[in-house]
Amino acid sequence: MTPETARRVNLAGAAITTFTVFCAIVWAFPIYWGIVSSLKPEDEVVRPYIELWPDTLTFQHYWFALTQTQIGTWYINSIATAVGVTILTVSTSMFAGYAISQLRFPFRKPLYWLILASFMVPTQVLIVNHFVLMANMGLLNTWAGIILPQLIHPVVIIVYKQFFDQVPKDFREAAVMDNASEFSILLKVYMPMNWGVTTALSIVTFIWSWNAFLWPFLAVTKTEMMTITVGITQVNDAFGVYYARQLSAAVLAGFPVALAYLLFQRRVTQAITLSAGIKG
Amino acid sequence: MAEITLNNVSKSFGAVTVIDNVSLTVGAGELVVFLGPSGSGKSTLLRMIAGLETIDSGTLTIGGKESQNLAPGQRNVAMVFQNYALYPHMTVRENMAFGLKNIRMPASEIDKRVNDAARILEMDALLDRRPSQLSGGQRQRVAIGRAIVKEPAAFLFDEPLSNLDAALRVRTRVELSELHQRMKSTMIYVTHDQTEAMTLGDRIVILNNCKIEQIGTPMEVYTYPAACFVAGFIGSPAMNFLKVQMSGSGEKAVATLGDGSRVAIPVAVPEAGRYELGIRPEAVRVTDGSGDTTGDARVVEHLGDRTLVYVILKDGTQITAQDTGRSTVAPGDRLALLFDWSHLRVCDELCRDCHVQ
Repeated sequence: MTPETARRVNLAGAAITTFTVFCAIVWAFPIYWGIVSSLKPEDEVVRPYIELWPDTLTFQHYWFALTQTQIGTWYINSIATAVGVTILTVSTSMFAGYAISQLRFPFRKPLYWLILASFMVPTQVLIVNHFVLMANMGLLNTWAGIILPQLIHPVVIIVYKQFFDQVPKDFREAAVMDNASEFSILLKVYMPMNWGVTTALSIVTFIWSWNAFLWPFLAVTKTEMMTITVGITQVNDAFGVYYARQLSAAVLAGFPVALAYLLFQRRVTQAITLSAGIKG
Repeated sequence: MAEITLNNVSKSFGAVTVIDNVSLTVGAGELVVFLGPSGSGKSTLLRMIAGLETIDSGTLTIGGKESQNLAPGQRNVAMVFQNYALYPHMTVRENMAFGLKNIRMPASEIDKRVNDAARILEMDALLDRRPSQLSGGQRQRVAIGRAIVKEPAAFLFDEPLSNLDAALRVRTRVELSELHQRMKSTMIYVTHDQTEAMTLGDRIVILNNCKIEQIGTPMEVYTYPAACFVAGFIGSPAMNFLKVQMSGSGEKAVATLGDGSRVAIPVAVPEAGRYELGIRPEAVRVTDGSGDTTGDARVVEHLGDRTLVYVILKDGTQITAQDTGRSTVAPGDRLALLFDWSHLRVCDELCRDCHVQ
């Protein structure tokens, strides 16, 4: 590489870096703005110009959200439903992915195509059906009612199927020669060999479920059964909307997910890579 | 140990036949090697015995019990895979015990068998390691140990040494041979390496194009190959095949080589005509005096104990000859070649009929 070429490459690299930093700032600004606004008194929030730092720093809205709302109950509801969705989605998808990848049974391929085709159907289209179904089953305003319609995640099945397809067939054959049943092969050989995939998919499913708003918003009308994302909408009173209060509740709602992401950053990235090109 | 019998077994993948009406008996305690080029069906045949491939037609009996419809785990055979297939998340001990736990064997019996196998294979110190902490040779031992603990009716080896380096392969080959002598178990060993086949096998089954070409002891298939394919496949370097015109017949046939040389050969051919003579490199000597024919040395390979000389005759025919280890032949030398016709193969032109003289 000549010095001239090297300089050109460096300039190109610097330009790309500057552009990505700019994009990151644009992307992160609303989060920063939300956090800063939640630390301002309400009258500062509604000022018609941009202030990047509060004149008066206050935690009163956080105190309000933590003491004057049912945020503790909403946290518990969110944790219970997100954990329920995660465990059920991951375990059922694991079995489904294994069956489609490793077992030979009639209509295996049409079943796979059906799962692939279900990507085409947006959740919003099904939401009325889900509502009627849950209402008929008497599951509105229950954890089960929030969890059940959220168990449809074809992407998790497809990721598992792809993963099982890639495991060298020698392992399966060795296990078959070792008298292992299909359950044993899945649970004692395939799964422990790659907990990373399950961990990554669990984290991503948990985040999806924690952030879910539309369905929990419809399925729950009682304040004490709301998840945290729905509960945010309740942080107001008869005199109107308090932006700073709502933002503080939103920050509190997003905090566990942000923490989970920071702790398991690599796993989340891995899961997103695994599902890249699938979740269109 | 048990006898394994295949009776007219066939196997197809769609329209492609991979095993065509094969019959074979592996005696109890015998080590039989399946040898053949890639795509000959040797691994498929082994997998059919293991139960990893279905048998389309024919019968398989293991220890007198018809087994072609049994699940792999119920056939009482153990398999050692080419890539070892050790479960990476389990220790050596857990790998070996996995199959026994699946049949709900008492823990004390499992411990005993694992410890016995570890002692036989001298890997007591490795029992608590994971496969990733082992060398290739150690992994291969664990794979064999996993088979031994089952105390199966037969061991099936699918090219188990092909992932080892040359030196380790030789050592492990010797160890396998010793293991067989000690355990006296029935073993079937698949390889494409004829050295492994010749050194390990009590008998060799040579497969080609989905069929058995010959079954025999190593020396039988080397000395008396039953088909042109076997003659060309067994032996390294390969047998020379010379196209000749035979005149005369009976005990005093005269063969005219492609370069016009005429040699009398002690062979009975039914009639004059075109034939192919198969002669091994060790039966073609480089001589200082007059020989049966002459040619130019193209390449010379010094192997220490012997020297291989690749010679090209006047008409372009290539012949591999063998000289002593201290040979002074150099590329480009004009050489006289002397044929030792005592182990000659004569094939008709289309290689339909082959026989050894």
